[in-house]
Amino acid sequence: MTIADGPMDGSATAAAGAAAASARRARRQTIGGLLPIVAWQTLFFAVPMGILFVYSFWTMKDYRLDTTVTLANYVRIFTNPIYLKGFLLSLQVALFVTVVCGVLAFPVAYFIAKKAGRWRVLLLIMVILPFWVSLIMRAFAWRLLLGERGVINQGLELTGLIDAPFSFLLYSPTAIVIGLIYAYLPLYVLPLYASIDKVRDSWIAAAQDLNATPMRAFWEVTFPLAFPGLMVGAVFCFIFGLGEYVVPALLGGGKSLVIAQVIRMEFELRQNWPGGAAISMVLMAFIIALLALTLRWIRPEVAR
Amino acid sequence: MTAADVPMRRHGRAATRALAFYAGLVFAFLYLPIAVIVLFAFDDKTVPGLPMAGFTTQWFARAFADGELVGGLATSVRLALCSAVLATAIAMPGAMVLAWRDVKVRTVVMCLVLAPIVVPQIVIGLGLILLFRAAPGLIGEPAIIIAHTTLTACYATMILYSRLLGFKRSYIEAAMDLGASDVRVFVEIILPLAAPALVAVLLLAFTDAFGEYIVAWFVAGFTKTLPIVIWGSMRGVLSPAVNAISAVIIAVSLALSVAAQIWIIRQTRAGRA
Amino acid sequence: MSAGEQGIRLDRVSKRYGAAVAVDDVTLDIAPGEFVTLLGPSGCGKSTLLRMISGFADPSDGDIRIDGRSIVGLPPFRRDTAMVFQDYALFPHRTVAQNLAFGLRMRKLARPEIARRVERMLAMIELPGMGGRRIDQISGGQAQRVALGRSLIVEPAVLLLDEPLGALDLKLRRQMQSELKRIQREMRLTFLYVTHDQEEALTMSDRIAVMRGGRVEQYGTPTEIYNAPRTAFVADFVGEANLLPVEIASIEERLVSLRGRVLRAAEAGFETVRAGDAASIAIRSEAVGLSPPDEPGMVRLPAVADEILFLGAAVKLVVVIEGGGRMTATLPAGTPLPARGEAVTIGWRTADARIVT
Repeated sequence: MTIADGPMDGSATAAAGAAAASARRARRQTIGGLLPIVAWQTLFFAVPMGILFVYSFWTMKDYRLDTTVTLANYVRIFTNPIYLKGFLLSLQVALFVTVVCGVLAFPVAYFIAKKAGRWRVLLLIMVILPFWVSLIMRAFAWRLLLGERGVINQGLELTGLIDAPFSFLLYSPTAIVIGLIYAYLPLYVLPLYASIDKVRDSWIAAAQDLNATPMRAFWEVTFPLAFPGLMVGAVFCFIFGLGEYVVPALLGGGKSLVIAQVIRMEFELRQNWPGGAAISMVLMAFIIALLALTLRWIRPEVAR
Repeated sequence: MTAADVPMRRHGRAATRALAFYAGLVFAFLYLPIAVIVLFAFDDKTVPGLPMAGFTTQWFARAFADGELVGGLATSVRLALCSAVLATAIAMPGAMVLAWRDVKVRTVVMCLVLAPIVVPQIVIGLGLILLFRAAPGLIGEPAIIIAHTTLTACYATMILYSRLLGFKRSYIEAAMDLGASDVRVFVEIILPLAAPALVAVLLLAFTDAFGEYIVAWFVAGFTKTLPIVIWGSMRGVLSPAVNAISAVIIAVSLALSVAAQIWIIRQTRAGRA
Repeated sequence: MSAGEQGIRLDRVSKRYGAAVAVDDVTLDIAPGEFVTLLGPSGCGKSTLLRMISGFADPSDGDIRIDGRSIVGLPPFRRDTAMVFQDYALFPHRTVAQNLAFGLRMRKLARPEIARRVERMLAMIELPGMGGRRIDQISGGQAQRVALGRSLIVEPAVLLLDEPLGALDLKLRRQMQSELKRIQREMRLTFLYVTHDQEEALTMSDRIAVMRGGRVEQYGTPTEIYNAPRTAFVADFVGEANLLPVEIASIEERLVSLRGRVLRAAEAGFETVRAGDAASIAIRSEAVGLSPPDEPGMVRLPAVADEILFLGAAVKLVVVIEGGGRMTATLPAGTPLPARGEAVTIGWRTADARIVT
């Protein structure tokens, strides 16, 4: 059989045509597969965010929307103490919760990843399990625990440790912090666990073999490798803490409001949608800046 | 092993024990509130508190006689079911394409899909209600389903995507090679092998939608989901009936999630081969 | 496209990914019932070629025909090819029998017929009675057989095997090689086999296509490939050859110049070169002898022994030849060996030194 026994150019174009056809088929499938999720998120996420952005430059006059473009809402946010205080409280709470959560979560994640042996899977499931209970119910339980006539005060009184109940437990920033630590702790343990789990025992053994004490081996090997997981936990904990509504509203008592409560107040009590939109935009700008700053740590982790 | 190693080992074991004790405390912290809800559901005082007075099951009876609570429960189950199925259905094709195809605009798509995770729910709620001003007819049940689908579809896509990444391409190619069309490959190979991930995603999306309060509140109109009912009842006098219904839900969701976890682990093990 | 054409024909097939060329203008004929191996290092395009035949990739140029009909553009499930995957790709949620039956179910055969053929295949792959096993309950060797059986059962026009024995240990591998050969003979199927293992290729194939950089360097029987390599790459990749850079001194006299020393070489290979060209001569290491007799038809070179490697049945002697350059001689065990650094004479028969380019 010789090589040139047919119209070579004809078959070459046939191949090119077939390749183009199957490339088109692949393209159609790609677009078809992505379309539902992309269309949905565009319509019900991106568009609402755009609407918020536009609203934030409008104002409310006598319960009517005034569509004159103005920066009045933003000026008000940065001059009126109630908004500034809301942002400040949210920031303080989120920062505190992030740090405490990290300190609390690291040993637990380390224990599960390195010391729990065959209990590992069970413990991991147990960390996640509270997530399956609505946050509303769990926050509600903290009211039973922290109140002036709550379980903790009564327990302390019954055992004679205190004479009068602690009144600062419920309806205070303390309560918000406790509730948020409780809510986000599992969220922190998981990425930490994932990165500590990747630290091979042989690496730690090698460090010790090279005369590092266990403590030194931990700081030289385990901790640097767990750091990305710590960052992921911290960033998400902080972001969620900034915008959280349910826990502060249930446990905070309403004397000092976090920013999420301020947004709802603008919307519900003052009917000031543009005001709420503007606060939302400031909050979002803050979160985006934070993500941009920490992206180099969290990107590889999230990509997994 | 030299003599000098012995104290070190002993020290190591003590440290491990201290670590275990600490982990125990953290777990106690995690489960304390759940235990409190369940305990007080059986206490016959009308205002929950220590010391516990006596055992009763009357709050369960009252809870299930309370039309508002039961109505909220039914509404929540119905709406959460819809949004869980919807979220999984729109997430699956997208996840398949992202995991298996060369997508040029992958970063853009990923950002769009992932963004709702980092946006505070109160912001999403406010944005959605301003959107629904353009279609007031949807406010109520359809709007709640839409809102919860939007919230859950993002991590549904992410979970499915990461599972499908580990999926051996050769399974699909082998099936096609043996004569299975795209549809048959999906039914015969992809669906059964992705079943654990799909179940996990469905459950997660359901639970999340079931318990979500603030976004639903924005778009609910006159619809009352269970969280909205409970929230309302917490403003007024706290009835232990809320405890009772919460206890039931906790029991059901914990049992369900444990069962699902066990099933998923079994499936994954069988599928590892 | 000639009618009545039998077997598989690759007609100037190319595959480009952007600027990168994975397969470059490959033309190849495979006769019905033939066992053909694509041999080459990783990245030489052999797997891409296989994927184009099975339909998981489309050629950028050229045509692929089975029994005269072009299959380019057909989706994989409409092609009469079956592939044995490197990782087997046995469906983990199906039993052994269900895996075997898959292709027949897709072809909508009647159930009793499927059951009958699955039974027969289980016997053929020597796993009778194991149809009910789950995939994670069988050994690696058994999984290999099931993967093979699953593709064989549909009786494809060509069976494509992508390094199917790569995951097995050496002993099992040998055993499976002869078994594959037996099955291929019994079923009279066309096999297209991909491997980077030259020994495997030599043992099993009717013909071997040695590939490099997307091109077929040489296509021929194992004997041809081994004894008459046409390029330096083939000589080096298949078996162990000594390659010495030379300059062509005289076509008529069949003389080459190795660093000024004029040697005679075998006749084959001289057709493609001209006097003054730079080329190489390839000499198989087992053709190199120690202290050869001084007679016509023999090339002798002074050298210094450098390294001695004991291989069991043979000994490998590495020497540095005069003027630099190393050569390896594979000698039968028991040959009296020089000490390291000792001066020796090595040599080979003129007919064993082939010009390659």
